[in-house]
Amino acid sequence: MVMASEDEVSLLVIVVDVNPIWWGQQANREPQFTLSKCLDAVMVMGNSHLVMTRNNKLAIIASHCQESHFLYPFKLWKSGDGHGDDNPSTSGDGKYELLSVANDIMAEEIKILMSRTEVKGNQTDTLLAGSLAKALCYIHRVTKELEAGQEIKSRILVIKAADDCALQYMNFMNVIFAAQKQSILIDACVLDSDSGLLQQACDITGGLYLMIPQKIALAQYLLWVFLPDSDQRSQLVLPPPVHVDYRAACFCHRNLIEIGYVCSVCLSIFCNFSPICTTCETAFKIPLPQMVKAKKKKLKPST
Amino acid sequence: MHLIADLSCPAMAALSEEVLLVVKRVRQRKQDGTLYLMAERIAWGPEGKDRFTVSHLYADIRQKISPDGKAKIQLQLVLHTGESTNFHFSNESTALRDRDAAKDLLQQLLPKFKKRANKELEEKNRMLQEDPVLFQLYKDLVVSQVISAEEFWANRLSLNNVDHSASNNKQEVGISAAFLADIRPQTDGCNGLRYNLTSDIIESIFRTYPAVKQKYAENVPHNLTEKEFWTRFFQSHYFHRDRISTGLQDIFSECAKQDEKGLRSMVVQGVKNPLVDLLSLEDKTLDEGYGSNSMAPSTSSANKTVKENSNSAIIKRFNHHSAMVLAAGNIGLSPRGPAVKIQEAIEYEDLHMENGKKTVALNLKKSDRYSHGPVPLLPQQYTTSQDIINSVNCIQQEIANYKPCLTQVMSSSTASSAIAALSPGGLLMQAGSQQAINQMVPSDVQGELKHLYTAAGELLRHFWSCFPVNTPFLEEKVVKMKSNLERFQMTKLRPFQEKIQRQYLSTNLTGHLEDMFQMAYNKFHAWQTRQMLRKT
Repeated sequence: MVMASEDEVSLLVIVVDVNPIWWGQQANREPQFTLSKCLDAVMVMGNSHLVMTRNNKLAIIASHCQESHFLYPFKLWKSGDGHGDDNPSTSGDGKYELLSVANDIMAEEIKILMSRTEVKGNQTDTLLAGSLAKALCYIHRVTKELEAGQEIKSRILVIKAADDCALQYMNFMNVIFAAQKQSILIDACVLDSDSGLLQQACDITGGLYLMIPQKIALAQYLLWVFLPDSDQRSQLVLPPPVHVDYRAACFCHRNLIEIGYVCSVCLSIFCNFSPICTTCETAFKIPLPQMVKAKKKKLKPST
Repeated sequence: MHLIADLSCPAMAALSEEVLLVVKRVRQRKQDGTLYLMAERIAWGPEGKDRFTVSHLYADIRQKISPDGKAKIQLQLVLHTGESTNFHFSNESTALRDRDAAKDLLQQLLPKFKKRANKELEEKNRMLQEDPVLFQLYKDLVVSQVISAEEFWANRLSLNNVDHSASNNKQEVGISAAFLADIRPQTDGCNGLRYNLTSDIIESIFRTYPAVKQKYAENVPHNLTEKEFWTRFFQSHYFHRDRISTGLQDIFSECAKQDEKGLRSMVVQGVKNPLVDLLSLEDKTLDEGYGSNSMAPSTSSANKTVKENSNSAIIKRFNHHSAMVLAAGNIGLSPRGPAVKIQEAIEYEDLHMENGKKTVALNLKKSDRYSHGPVPLLPQQYTTSQDIINSVNCIQQEIANYKPCLTQVMSSSTASSAIAALSPGGLLMQAGSQQAINQMVPSDVQGELKHLYTAAGELLRHFWSCFPVNTPFLEEKVVKMKSNLERFQMTKLRPFQEKIQRQYLSTNLTGHLEDMFQMAYNKFHAWQTRQMLRKT
């Protein structure tokens, strides 16, 4: 196994889905695994990552239905500055100060985020595409702020709870391809139902997709599967990649089709043939097949 | 003499070739007749009849022999197959002349056709050597007589003829202007000189001085050996600096005269390229006599000293040599006019204005269709607004009292069940337990399977290309191909299947091949039944 050099920085950005509507309903469905437990597991994961190597960096983004908010690092910090004057709420148990500070900040920020939630009926979907975009921007910024000679490897871990939102499709795909271009892995840990978008994201960027059977064991799954970085993963036996459904959706019904008709002008996909493309209004002339003349059968003499 | 063969004559109706030479009174096998040399073949017909009894393509002739010094004046043709034909020129007065005329013509024509016949064989060999897969296929199919060699090469050679024209345009190597000087003679130790001639230098000499090439063709290998030819060449004054024509019986004295003529014609032609024409840059002055003296001072006047003469001889030779080298290098290039040359010298394509092509704008009426993803297959959960309010309140309460408790994130039993699910064989690791086929099958079996696939593919391609069956040739071919397929299945496929069965490999490696063969057989049977119905 190649040891990471002194100068290689490994940045992990965890995007946690904190959709209050889903988690509120979850509290009724499964009281033993609520948002608090989930956040605990995320903290354990974050701490573990920071402890692996001195050069590791961490960022945690909470993906809400109204905004995406950084839980860690603290926004008002400047690099190099200590958190100095604030009363350090050390837990007093001799924990590595970086970890205790990180945990405190995370807890504080999630409280602030949730307290300013407003109830709106039309905004019930998690803004996952936006959170991923913020993660990419953060990674980009950290990459630019590196010292000379330092290299960085980044990945994004998405912990997803609520269902996919079809409206975010385009943004999602853009984010995925941007991550692929930047060689940023996107891993996904899905709590409830399979997400086609995240499956595609993991497949395209080279990350791991996992839907966990037991939510209460989230921490164990995170540490086992998602803690090792991409170099180490090749040496480990991890869950095999899932089969991704890459079928396109037809433009007329939004059904997934395997064989369809594509307009050569605007590249829109249809499940049925029509002589005029409804998107760009081009008329197509298709030559009809020649009518085969029926052969007259000779009357056979009856035996 | 050029005659076009008479097309109305039935015997000659098949020939539409130009007749290049007709020689009467030529005997073949003690029969009098006439010899015809045509564009692609040589033929002989007996006297009085108008059909040819002997006809050979130039491509088939390996060699012509004309034995000198015998009483009979003969010409012998040896074919590639080994058989030889003898023509006896029996016209007393003109026999020798006829024979020589025929011989010269053959000498010019044979080299052209020789290359063509060999080229095909060479091409085939080259293809077989370069592509081991093709070679294997050839061995499997042609050597074991499953299909004939012609069918094998039918599709492939035609493909390569297209490539041939491209490869024929490979760049020609230019001639170094110093090639004659590069043959540095070395002293032999005992008052002789050694000249080191490589084939490159020989080629350069031939290309620059076509007169020498002609002399070579005329004299080697009949009169002189190659070595003698070159020895004489270097000995001759033609080669040396002082080209004083001493009138010796030199085969090269003719060359010197030809060169002189060539140089004079070049001077008369003048320089075409305005960019290098130095004379046009001179001041156009009216010399003495205000232009009435029309004679330009001649550079080759007779009242020069001996030294000046030898100097001018060297300069003349130098100019001539350079001109010949340039001319040889420019063979094949089309002559371009002065305007074109100037145009090329002053323009750069990259710096031109871009004239973009006119494009049609894309007119999308419903562009939002592109931004929607597929409709999720599972139904969305419907939440009432009351649900929403309740959930949000619940969460807000919970998080307001949130205190991370990292020592009790999960119980050990939960953790161990999760680990069990992630271990090989566990719940989440099921898909990975199927081993890839290529890890289970040994590599020699894989290699054999690949060969089988290539060979079967080739046969099936021949089979399927017969449909639709329009001609009797295709009918025969399709029947033959079907029997070939059956034979292949018997001789190659079955032993392979038995072999892998003996090795206890449970995977079905040949299922697909069997399917392909079965489809071919089905098609054949369907076609056969249709044929029989049609006939009744």
